[in-house]
Amino acid sequence: MKNSTLTPEESLLLITKTIEEMKQRFKNNGHILIFWGLLTFVVAMSQFTLYNFEYYKIHWYPSFLYPLGAIYMTVYIWKEYKKKKLPKTLIGNILGKMGWLIGLNFMILGFFFSQKIGDATAPVFLIFLAFFIFLAGISIKFKPLIISGVMLNLFAFATFYVHDHYLYLVMAIGSFALTIPGILLNNARRKENV
Amino acid sequence: MFKDLDPILHSQLRLSIVSILMSVEEANFSFIKEETKATSGNLSIQIKKLQDAGYVKVEKSFINNYPNTSLSITKKGMEAFENYVNNLKSYINPK
Repeated sequence: MKNSTLTPEESLLLITKTIEEMKQRFKNNGHILIFWGLLTFVVAMSQFTLYNFEYYKIHWYPSFLYPLGAIYMTVYIWKEYKKKKLPKTLIGNILGKMGWLIGLNFMILGFFFSQKIGDATAPVFLIFLAFFIFLAGISIKFKPLIISGVMLNLFAFATFYVHDHYLYLVMAIGSFALTIPGILLNNARRKENV
Repeated sequence: MFKDLDPILHSQLRLSIVSILMSVEEANFSFIKEETKATSGNLSIQIKKLQDAGYVKVEKSFINNYPNTSLSITKKGMEAFENYVNNLKSYINPK
């Protein structure tokens, strides 16, 4: 790029183009949503299966995959940013910290207070998740994420009426609110790059 | 009436640098070089001009024994950019 002066129209075009390119760069995170969606699905289905085969004492063991997933994802994101020398963004920072906060709260609730909140564990988890998905959608202005967040929020309240026997199954269904927008986000990026 | 455009920002490369920094919290030299496709020498000179004007903050450090220069926009830089964009509008949509 040369250091020439520009006409007002060229200046405005350059600003718009640069800011838009920077925004697009950070939309490329569909695989993170797919990862969490699949992990939630695997954990919930494993718990559902163990619960149904009456392994009540160990049916919650698969939930240990969540902290492992969080560690893996943190290392992965950190390495990606370092490798590609990506800049820090305010949105990325806020979403990352909020993701950690929500995840940590859910793990504390799940591991230490599940007896207290009982059947409400699944709906509370889904409300947390819906809140995060909705905010992520607004931040990157991606409609499928916003819609998923709203749908999941409504679905979470409906799960209060589901028999406790099927709560893990409900969580597995809820995981699609991450997987589907993740796939759509990846597809949208691929189309933009063609 | 046309308002004067800030001469510091009214150059292609400096405007690109500031536009990038307006979109991020912090970016390092090599990222900006890659995005603007400018040469290291030219980029350094333009960053120095922006730094002297108080529009960007430059921090030098070492990451794994490699030098790292990170840049961020200052409050003064943000205000200058906003004024610049508003003044541009008066050229494009004169009343």
